[in-house]
Amino acid sequence: MSLTTKRIIVASLSFFFLAALLVVAFQESKRLRVEEREEPVITAANRGCVECHSKDSPALVMEWERSGHAQYGVGCVDCHAAESTDPDAWQHEGVWVSPLVTPKDCAQCHAREYEEFSKSHHAKAGQILASLDNVLAEKVAGMPGNNADAVNGCWQCHGTIVKFMRDKDGNILKTGKENKPVIDPTTWPNSGMGRMNPDGSQGSCHACHSRHAFEAKLSRSPENCGKCHMGPDHPQIEIYNESKHGIAFYANRDIMALDKQGEWVLGRDYSAAPTCATCHISSYMTPQGATVENSHDVGERISWTLRPAISTKLNLVIYEDGYKEDYPDTRAAPKVGEEIERTEKVVENETLVSKKVKGKVAEVITWEERRKKMKGACLNCHNDTYVDNFYKQFDDLVTLYNEKFAKPSTKMINDLIADGVLSKNAPFEHPVQWTYWELWHHEGRRARHGASMMGPDYTHWHGMYEVSKHYYMKFLPEVVEAAATKGIAMKQKYERIVGQLLAQDEHIWMKGLSAKEAEELRKMYQSRYNQ
Amino acid sequence: MNDASMDRRTWLASAAMGIGLLLSYGTLAVQGMMYLLPQQIGRRGRKLFAGRLVDYKVGGVRTFLDLEGNDILVKRDEEGLKAYSSVCPHLGCRVHWVDAEKHFFCPCHRGVFDETGIAISGPPADGGQRLSEVPLDVDKDGGVVYIEVKDIKRS
Amino acid sequence: MPEGVASEKKGFFNRIEALFPFDWDLLRHAGAEPVPYHLKKWWFCLGGTPMYLFVVQVITGIALTFYYVPSPAEAYHSVFVITHDIRFGWFLRSIHKWSANLMIISVFLHLLRVYFTGAYRHPRELNWVFGFALLGATLAFGFTGYSLVYEQLSFWGATVATNLADAVPFVGSYISYFMRGGPEVGEQTLTRFFIFHIGVLPTLVFFLLALHIVLVRLHGVTELHFEGEVVEKEHRFFRFWPEHATTEILIGVLLMYLLTILSLIWPAQLGAPANPNVTPEHIKPEWYFYFSFRLLKLTSLKVSVVLTGAIMGIAMFWPFIESWLKRKFGMSERLSIFIGIFAFLGFLVLTVWESFAH
Repeated sequence: MSLTTKRIIVASLSFFFLAALLVVAFQESKRLRVEEREEPVITAANRGCVECHSKDSPALVMEWERSGHAQYGVGCVDCHAAESTDPDAWQHEGVWVSPLVTPKDCAQCHAREYEEFSKSHHAKAGQILASLDNVLAEKVAGMPGNNADAVNGCWQCHGTIVKFMRDKDGNILKTGKENKPVIDPTTWPNSGMGRMNPDGSQGSCHACHSRHAFEAKLSRSPENCGKCHMGPDHPQIEIYNESKHGIAFYANRDIMALDKQGEWVLGRDYSAAPTCATCHISSYMTPQGATVENSHDVGERISWTLRPAISTKLNLVIYEDGYKEDYPDTRAAPKVGEEIERTEKVVENETLVSKKVKGKVAEVITWEERRKKMKGACLNCHNDTYVDNFYKQFDDLVTLYNEKFAKPSTKMINDLIADGVLSKNAPFEHPVQWTYWELWHHEGRRARHGASMMGPDYTHWHGMYEVSKHYYMKFLPEVVEAAATKGIAMKQKYERIVGQLLAQDEHIWMKGLSAKEAEELRKMYQSRYNQ
Repeated sequence: MNDASMDRRTWLASAAMGIGLLLSYGTLAVQGMMYLLPQQIGRRGRKLFAGRLVDYKVGGVRTFLDLEGNDILVKRDEEGLKAYSSVCPHLGCRVHWVDAEKHFFCPCHRGVFDETGIAISGPPADGGQRLSEVPLDVDKDGGVVYIEVKDIKRS
Repeated sequence: MPEGVASEKKGFFNRIEALFPFDWDLLRHAGAEPVPYHLKKWWFCLGGTPMYLFVVQVITGIALTFYYVPSPAEAYHSVFVITHDIRFGWFLRSIHKWSANLMIISVFLHLLRVYFTGAYRHPRELNWVFGFALLGATLAFGFTGYSLVYEQLSFWGATVATNLADAVPFVGSYISYFMRGGPEVGEQTLTRFFIFHIGVLPTLVFFLLALHIVLVRLHGVTELHFEGEVVEKEHRFFRFWPEHATTEILIGVLLMYLLTILSLIWPAQLGAPANPNVTPEHIKPEWYFYFSFRLLKLTSLKVSVVLTGAIMGIAMFWPFIESWLKRKFGMSERLSIFIGIFAFLGFLVLTVWESFAH
């Protein structure tokens, strides 16, 4: 082998060697990139807490350490520090702390989110305390001195007023060597969405942003909403799971960028499917290439209210002080600049009271504008004909429910009340009241929700089918039965009313099919099923 | 090598060999150097929470620790916030803010720095030095202040 | 003979050389000595290869020592940090591991080459002994180095090895005590192994290697002729520089390339950390000790130790033993070849057998 050949071989080998070293460098850079999460920063202020609590409650500290907060050195003291004047605070190892972190505490840094959330329906979730639902839990299911159904059931989703145990003078009881305030055990633990906190704020950020890791991927997942938005009276998660949206999500979960830090925009960061957050809260791309900012006011994009017995469209009145009030379209919306009085529910002395507040109207947002905001998300995947037609289908279902069942049944109940058959003070006395209540509160809602989120089975079988069956087979007969308790005359009156109702076209099916119709039906079955 | 006749092929082969060896072993040497240097110089910093804008009084100074254990002095004036390292540029003692005099003071050799960190008296002033600035960021949404400090943990 | 560098240089170099008044001309002359032609054959790089790899080991080893901590509490973690945190730590460690394996393989191949070319025969017996000592040192390097990682296999491998040493007749307990630094493998053991690995053995190898190379230069390299090969009447030579040097550089780059590829595909891993209370189901030494391990499984402790010792002893002093056998019994050189093949196959069989066992 000549020298020159040898040199050429050395040259080639050294370039191979160089190439291999470049691969090594590439591997090295990949290794560094993978370990993106830095070590948590434990500042001097938090060091004491971490040292003790990593032994007392190690998993809790580990959760915090893997949170986004720890990346910036935001730790225990930053959220749990309290004033000595706070009712829920005590001095622990030399620091005034409270385990109760309220939205106001989070607002120290997350001001915008608190702004939006505090005006939303979520923050008001605890205000059902005076509703029929609460009556069912406290009175019908509960007993004096034990309202555990409300405590463990309703309040865990809706939230409750956080109360303290007091002595006969009304002072908060203290316990232990740290003089810890004694909290009412029926009100804590509670992470209900509309929890009413001692500092006056309403709501709980933790309801969606579970502590102490506060993972974005948890908050963005549909299961998160499903803790509360489920069940016979509002099966949103079940409907979502049934729908194509849900199917798409579960099949493509790992490309949804759920743990992306910072913004999470439909049409830019992910595309496979919408989650609850996508449509109701999160950012999406507009045709202009801009992003619509997310909003923690979950009602911003809602045009119908599917909650009450009779659904209405919702206009939004915003007052100058920021307070937001939903106006059903059956109620005339005020004009901008008008000074009107509204009723707010606030906590005073650990009770929910109604307060009349005067305020000037700053803005009125129509239901059409709210719907347009929702449509902006839809349009990322669907074209406008598709979206508009969907809304027509949805609107028609709600109208059908309203017109055929909700309005007539509500009128009948109101008539019975007016006639003294039923009492407003005894809402669950007669079977007809239960039937009516479930008609709009359970199956009626299921039908409307099912249509709103493309869950066909919930719309029909769990929804309108049961609405119709219960309406015809239970409600109407029970109306007459209830009337009967007030005497023959009343009974006959309502028999007439029901009869007149059933004479209308939409109820004619009850009379049975005509001979011609029966024949047609028979022929159809024969040709289809050979029976 | 002082061969009499160096024809082009030989010369190219030698040159290629020389360059090849230099580049390959050189790369290895660089990687070895990077291995031996534990701290990545010029690495991106860590952002640390430094309170909220509303917590700063105009004209006031708040201190935060960086990851190396040194104070970072954050001052708010009319224009906004500025963060300075507390390490004196003279010989490394730690300066502190004297509110009564509205200046930063270094006790070792009595160096004095004005409100913007420029040395106005003492050995640092003689050397035309100033307190080094620490990058600072204020989040518009929540008025949250972040200071960017050097990360010391990773290699 | 090509001209070396002129002895009378410009004033500058003279002044430099005057600082160290050694006979630089002698060195220049020695370095310029022409290389015998038969060394062009590639067989003969098998000696330079382990030397080059030794240099690689010294450099990567020093690099690793920057971050390694030789205490049982810290050792494993420091290796972990090198492998996962330090930039290019995984790469340098992998080169060190693969270079160790290649060094052992190439020393062994060199031994085979020397044996089967009869290059150990008179007057080169001493060099064979030194070479064998170098082989032993290389294996000792492997053993001590692997124990430093303080994985389960490190700990228990060291335990087994020192127990084997214990079985050496008469002096066994002294040897094992010396190795362990106590009755059990522990803190003292790790420190000792560390000193052996980075201090004692490198120094020993350095001097042995120097002697080995000096002897080679003094004796000259044995010529290798194949049957039927046309041998030139006169000796032909080629230049050390640039021809031979380029060959050496070539081999160097080839080895670096090979080591890099091996490090990329099979980087050094980390097993479970050493736990003195839990012996793993399957302990195995490194592959180069498989033959001894298999022998241990086939016989008993005492027998395998004595047998291994005897074989090593015979192998080390083979040049003397062979010439004695030649003189006493007229043993032919052919028989030596067969003995060599037999020994090699035996080693191979035991090694491969053990590699398949659990």
